[in-house]
Amino acid sequence: MKNNSFSLIELSIYYIVVFFILREWLVPVMDLTKTGYMELILLFIALSLVISLFRLNFIVSSFVKIAYIVWFIVFVYGGVFVLSAEGIDFLFNDLQTNLSALMRADWMNITDSFRTFLFFILIWMLIYLIHHWIVVRMNVFYFLLLTVFFVGTLDTFTEYEGSFAIVRIMVLGLVMTVFLLIKRLFNQANIKLDIVKYLKLAVPVVVLVVAVSSIAYFLPKSPPQWPDPVPFIKSAAGQGGGEVNKGGVKKVGYGENDSELGGSFIADDTVVFLAEASTKQYWRVETKDVYTSKGWEDSGYSQGELKSFGPGETIQYSLPRGPEEDTKSASIQVMYPYDFIIQPYGLKSVDASYSENSNFEFVMAMDTEKIMPYTFQAPTTLQEYSVNYSKPVYLYSSLKNPTEEIDPKIAERYLQLPKTLPERVRDLAADIVGGRETPYDKARAIEMYFKQNGFRYDTDNVATPSEGQDYVDQFLFETKVGYCDNFSTSMVVLLRSAGIPARWVKGFAGGDVIDNDGSTSTYQITNNDAHSWVEAYIPSVGWINFEPTIGFNSSRSIDYDLQTDAYQEDVLVIEEETEPDEVVEEQPETQQTAAQGNSFSKNISHFFEQNKFILVILLLAIVVSLFVLYGVRRKWMPKVYGALYRRRGFDESTFESAFLQLLKLLELKGFKRKNGQTLQTFAKEMDAYFETSHMSKLTKCYEQTIYSDNASKVDITQMKESWEYLINRITS
Amino acid sequence: MHKQVEAIIENIEKVMIGKREVAELSVVALLSGGHVLLEDVPGVGKTMMVKALAKSVSAEFKRIQFTPDLLPSDVIGVSIYNPKILQFEFRPGPIVGNIILADEINRTSPKTQSALLESMEEASVTIDGETLQIARPFFVMATQNPIEYEGTYPLPEAQLDRFLLKIKMGYPTAQEEVEVLRRAANDEPIVHLTPVISIDELLELQREVRNVYLEDSVKSYIVQLARATRTVSEVYLGVSPRASIALMKAAQAYAKMQDRDYVKPDDVQYLAPFVFGHRIILKPEARYEGVTTEEIVNRIINKSVIPIKRYAEQ
Repeated sequence: MKNNSFSLIELSIYYIVVFFILREWLVPVMDLTKTGYMELILLFIALSLVISLFRLNFIVSSFVKIAYIVWFIVFVYGGVFVLSAEGIDFLFNDLQTNLSALMRADWMNITDSFRTFLFFILIWMLIYLIHHWIVVRMNVFYFLLLTVFFVGTLDTFTEYEGSFAIVRIMVLGLVMTVFLLIKRLFNQANIKLDIVKYLKLAVPVVVLVVAVSSIAYFLPKSPPQWPDPVPFIKSAAGQGGGEVNKGGVKKVGYGENDSELGGSFIADDTVVFLAEASTKQYWRVETKDVYTSKGWEDSGYSQGELKSFGPGETIQYSLPRGPEEDTKSASIQVMYPYDFIIQPYGLKSVDASYSENSNFEFVMAMDTEKIMPYTFQAPTTLQEYSVNYSKPVYLYSSLKNPTEEIDPKIAERYLQLPKTLPERVRDLAADIVGGRETPYDKARAIEMYFKQNGFRYDTDNVATPSEGQDYVDQFLFETKVGYCDNFSTSMVVLLRSAGIPARWVKGFAGGDVIDNDGSTSTYQITNNDAHSWVEAYIPSVGWINFEPTIGFNSSRSIDYDLQTDAYQEDVLVIEEETEPDEVVEEQPETQQTAAQGNSFSKNISHFFEQNKFILVILLLAIVVSLFVLYGVRRKWMPKVYGALYRRRGFDESTFESAFLQLLKLLELKGFKRKNGQTLQTFAKEMDAYFETSHMSKLTKCYEQTIYSDNASKVDITQMKESWEYLINRITS
Repeated sequence: MHKQVEAIIENIEKVMIGKREVAELSVVALLSGGHVLLEDVPGVGKTMMVKALAKSVSAEFKRIQFTPDLLPSDVIGVSIYNPKILQFEFRPGPIVGNIILADEINRTSPKTQSALLESMEEASVTIDGETLQIARPFFVMATQNPIEYEGTYPLPEAQLDRFLLKIKMGYPTAQEEVEVLRRAANDEPIVHLTPVISIDELLELQREVRNVYLEDSVKSYIVQLARATRTVSEVYLGVSPRASIALMKAAQAYAKMQDRDYVKPDDVQYLAPFVFGHRIILKPEARYEGVTTEEIVNRIINKSVIPIKRYAEQ
């Protein structure tokens, strides 16, 4: 061992490599925490390595390191030299502040300088550990693994770009591993180090490492196969809400920001509401009026006016209502803490149980018609509420014969279009409505346009408009593939182009029936049901909802009180629409019993589909922990078995099995009886190791029990003593 | 260690220096009723060893010095016409005795060798249709020089089977050799050896050895080793079941010597090279490569599975 320990030069080479690897640790940390003075910290690492290299006396090395740390802190935070009066003053003040903060467990008030101190201590310990790994274990695998994992994690979850750092670490680490492995091999084989032999082994491997790395570097690489997990994890943790990520994949759900539409999204089965209602219907949340050519914004037309009303109070807003006698009620159970109230069409009032003194009220933002529950003038969330509504029934005759003139205010607000809207969109709108006379007919034509012209519903592979490209234009003329946002936005734009005031509505589609109790059903509304559609203003009727998205059904009621030529066509079309859709996943049929079993297995598969990333991580974690457990089994398995055996106890009847268990325990500990090794020789070996004679005693007794015909009585107390002694020694 | 056995061995050690193991193994053979073949170069004390053992037992000791011209009748005896009683009279040869030293057995012709070996196996001599049982204890210790030496008739492998153990003496260490010289300078200590065990005591001991218990698991261990010799690639012919019996008997004797009334796998392991060594026939190519049968037996032992439970529980 002596002649094969490290020479100073050899060790210093290792340390230089370690220095560079540690630098890879430091760079992202510094970068992300916006810490400066990296050179000085690197200097500390170098200093520690040099001290470790020369095996300086612990006291001396501690003194040097502490002195450096103190100097650094005073220099960086105090801006003065440590041995000046101000420096000492600063140091003591700082020490006092932090000590008192520590005593009070007041972690928030610990100063940065103290954190820096802890950081230095961490580096110090790390270097001690590395020294141990290199000199004693001659194996830096764990260090490398840790480093790669660390950089990989930072690269994945932060803006730090670690692609090259990983390559550098791998190359340096592999080379270092190679040299240490050779060293270890030499030691094991007891071969004296010899530079020629050493190089004979090392050079090919180093060449290999370099060759492989350079080939890998120059090979073309495919882009990441997984979506960036960060927004995914955030939204899975409930912080997302369909955040828009330019060009990236979104997660479906109700989001606030619609200013940049487009891109694919992935399904999410998180349940947001349970609604108990008599009919399936759309749940409206808010509307938006300004189309920006990329998405939707709120114009602030009413200057952010809020209108408050109490529970049960009738709401005044823009939508028409059905007759009083048709009033129905639906109770909503909130599963996901959105702060808005979902509104059925024809909403009259909202009821909620609330405590008297909580100043509870509902507030409607007049710009968007979004209703939120408030207590003490602050938004809150409700667990349960019920909505009273009377679904409007539009008279076909009124729709067909508009008499009223459009209110200029409405026209001004809801005919807005961006100046950059390409002319071909307007042309298309004119084309579609050509020959139709009433606004309703025009709107119907536009609504039907998508269903008849090869548009396709898809949530994957949906394009995001490039810069300068119009979202609607891209959908209408280029891609023709998209989901509700594409269809609804396009319809609004086409309506406005055709001179019909229209707005964009967000909310939830009807959901799945999960329970049925005669007159009412319970609908489960998940994030997948988040939806957008269109409301158009038809003179003398008011706002009426349209559903351009393929695969979704319109839920408006029209009383066909008038027979016209177009009537048949209209009715036929509506019937056609109400047939089961091809896109079942978005709007599942409301079969009751059969659907439940179905939806269960579907839910499971959806669950796996959605949480793929988390499950993979989980699986990896399990595999890794199993590996680790297996790796350190000699540490814990004897303890577990020891405890087990101790509980089983030791007496005459169990002597034989107890002895065999002892052998097993020894084997777990790493003392396996070799083939052809008799119990007696094994016992001697064990006794030599544990420096006792208990094993021989026990073995002699055991041999007598199993090999002789007249086993004399076992001296159980003495044997028990020996057995317990050995078990304790093995498991301690 | 058994008291009487210890006494015999101590007696031998008075004469032989550093040959305790050989002495022990000889006693193993004596107790189990087998015979021993001592093999080594001349001058390492083979004959002295046998003499010392014989003198330690108050038994009839005979010595046959084998030469190329020795005839079978010189060994087993001859019928001679006795003019007094006008009849042929059987004169038993030196083989009829208790402890027989067959010195340099490989120097005589195969005819004489087989006469000796037959009487060893059957413990009787037959001349002119008359059979004479040789009284017990009957213990033959043969010595031979390794076959590389000239003027010898090597024993056929089949004949070697008659010996329970084949023991090599080996040279003494430097220290021991100095001691040998010191003793040789004075008068021969062998002259002063006195018997430490009577024939009756020895017979009683032999009976006890036969009663030493052998658990079935240990028996199966012996069989395991014996069978293993038959499948080694370098071996032309493995050991016979007779070898397994021999190993069992030797192990019983060895256990008795340790004052134990049951056999352990340790006993079997210790004796296996001495019992199996001369019964394995190597392939010629293996022999040229310098592989020895002892190596093979040790290799088998190192791969064997020791029974650590009773046979019934396995």
